[in-house]
Amino acid sequence: MLNFESVAMRYADGTQALGGVSLQVPAGQFCVVLGSSGAGKSTLLRMANGLVKPTRGTVQVEGVRIADGSLARIRPRIGMIHQQFNLVARSSVADNVLAGALPAMPTWRALLGLFTDEARRKACELVESVGLQEQHLLRRVSELSGGQQQRVGIARAFMLEPPLVLADEPVASLDPQTSHDVLSLLRTQARERGTTVLCSLHQIELACEFADRIVALRHGAVVFDGAPGAFDPQVFEAIYGREPMPARSEGHATEPAAALPLHAGALELAR
Amino acid sequence: MNRPASAWNLPRPFGARSLCVLLLVLVLGFFAGQRVEMGRMLSLTAEGVLAAVGLREQSQVLSGLGTIARSLFPPQISQRTEVARIEGFDRNRLPWFSHVETVETREPRLNPQTLQMEERIDSREELVEPFGYLWHVAAKMLETFEIAIWATLLAIVLSAPLAWCSAKNYTPHRVVYTLARSVVGLCRAVPELVSALFLVLAYGFGPIAGVLALALHSAGFLGKFYAEDIETADDKPQEALRAIGANKLKVMRFAVLPQVMPQFIAYTLYVLDRNVRMATVVGLVGAGGIGQELKGRYDMYNYAHVGTILVAIFLTVLVLDRLAARLRSRYA
Repeated sequence: MLNFESVAMRYADGTQALGGVSLQVPAGQFCVVLGSSGAGKSTLLRMANGLVKPTRGTVQVEGVRIADGSLARIRPRIGMIHQQFNLVARSSVADNVLAGALPAMPTWRALLGLFTDEARRKACELVESVGLQEQHLLRRVSELSGGQQQRVGIARAFMLEPPLVLADEPVASLDPQTSHDVLSLLRTQARERGTTVLCSLHQIELACEFADRIVALRHGAVVFDGAPGAFDPQVFEAIYGREPMPARSEGHATEPAAALPLHAGALELAR
Repeated sequence: MNRPASAWNLPRPFGARSLCVLLLVLVLGFFAGQRVEMGRMLSLTAEGVLAAVGLREQSQVLSGLGTIARSLFPPQISQRTEVARIEGFDRNRLPWFSHVETVETREPRLNPQTLQMEERIDSREELVEPFGYLWHVAAKMLETFEIAIWATLLAIVLSAPLAWCSAKNYTPHRVVYTLARSVVGLCRAVPELVSALFLVLAYGFGPIAGVLALALHSAGFLGKFYAEDIETADDKPQEALRAIGANKLKVMRFAVLPQVMPQFIAYTLYVLDRNVRMATVVGLVGAGGIGQELKGRYDMYNYAHVGTILVAIFLTVLVLDRLAARLRSRYA
C-alpha cells in the first residue's frame, strides 16, 4: 500500500530529518509513528503525499512512485488530517468538508461552488458520521471547539474515500479526553472503509490503545517497529532517551504533559 | 557571556539617537516651512481670526471668504428657459410644477424716423421650472455616481488578474510577477486627473474618459492590496487543499478567498467612496458628471449655480460616507 524505500531528508539548513528509513505499510493497517519532536515523524508523513521531497530514496503509494508527474493523480487518493486542523476558520463546516471533494471536480464547477448532489449528500453523511448535527452544517468553523474542528477535518479527509489517510499529530492540540474520542473516531472511520492510516502521535498510551502497529523514530531512524504489545520501558528509553518516569518534576514543554505521567499505567493496560 | 538579569541591558525610549533624529526633522521642517510660506499663512489666519472676533478692522482672508459666500448663496434652485429656444415646445404638456411666464422688458430705443428716444416694450415667454436646476444637478450627480460605480466594477475586473500575478505565492512566473507589479505601480502612480486629461483627448468629452481614468487608478490600488492580502493569508488551509491535489484556482477559491473576503470588501468600499469623490474632480477636465457642470458654470461666472453644485456634492459624499461605514461594519 505505502512503501518507503530508504528515504532520507536533509533540509536546506543542514538538518538531517531522516536518514534512510524503509517502511512498508500494508493495506488496512492503522500504523502509528512515535517519536519526540524533531525525530522526523512529520517529514516521513509529508513525503507520502509529496509535500516534502526526499533527498534520497523513493516513496510508493499503491505501487505508484511519488514524483512531480504523478502527484496530481496520486494526491486525491490520499486524505490528510493536520495538527492545526488547517480548516478555513471563516467558512462553514459544510464548505470545509465539501472542499475535500475539490480535486475530483472540474475547475469551473469548483470556482462557482457547484458541487454535485452526490458530493453534497456525501458531505452531510460524513458530518453526521463524525458526530456533528445538521445545526453545525452552516456554522463557521471558528465557532466550534477544538475537538469538533478536528472532526470536521476528519470528515474532509474522507470526502473522496481515499485508500490512504495521513494524520499528522491529529490530537496534539486537544485535551486528553477529546484526543481519545477523536482518535477512536478516526479508527472507526478507517475500519469501516478498510482505509490505511499512517498517524503520528505523542501520546504513547493512545498509540498502544489504537494502533495495529507502532513505528518509533529517533533522530531520523527507526528504533522500534512492532505491535503495541511489544512496547516496554526499554523501547521508551530508546525513543525518548530516558526512563518513563513520572515527569512532574521536569516540566517538559515539547510533549503534552498528560502523556508522560499516564504512561507507566498505560503500558500495563496495553498488555 | 552570561550576565545576571540585574545587569541586562533593556533599551529605554527617547535615547540620544532618537533625540538627534527629532532635532534634524525640526530643522528640516523649519526650512521647508519657510519655502512654502508657513509664516505668512499663520499671520494671515491670525488676522482673520482677530477680524472675526472684532479686534481688527479688516482682513484679506476674511473678506475673500465673505466674497465667496455672498456670491455662492443663495444657491440656484429654479431654472428659466425662453420658450422660443425650446424645440418642439408643447404648451399643453408642460413639465411638472412648471408654468409659463410672460416677461416684459422695457428699453429705450432711438426711433430712426423721429430721431427721438422712445421706450419700447419687448415681451417674451419663459418656461419657469421652480426646481429645474436642482433636478438638473441631481441628474448630473447620478451620472457622477454611475461613473464611480462603473469605474469600481472595471477596477475589480482588471485588478483580479493583476493581483493573482503580483502575489508571490500564486504568480505563474517571476517575470510575470515583476511585470504585474510594475503595471500595478504604474496604474497607481498616474493620478486620475492626469490620465483623464489624456483620455478626454482619446475618447472625447464625456463619461467614458472619466470611467476609464478612475478604473485604471483604482485597479492599481486594488491590485496591490488584494495581492498583499493573498500573500499574507494563512497558509495552513491552503496546504490542506494542496495536499489532496487541488489546483491553484481551487485553492484560491476555497482556502484564500474566504479568508480575505472581509478585507477585500473593505478596500472595495473605500475605492467606491473615493471614486465618487474623484469622479467630481475628473469632471473638471471634461470627463463627464457634475464636475463638468461645475467647471462650465464657474467659467460663466454663475456662482449661484456653483453654490448648488457644491452643496449637492457635499451632501452626496456625506451620505455615501455613512452608507459605506454601515456596509463595512456589517460585512467586514
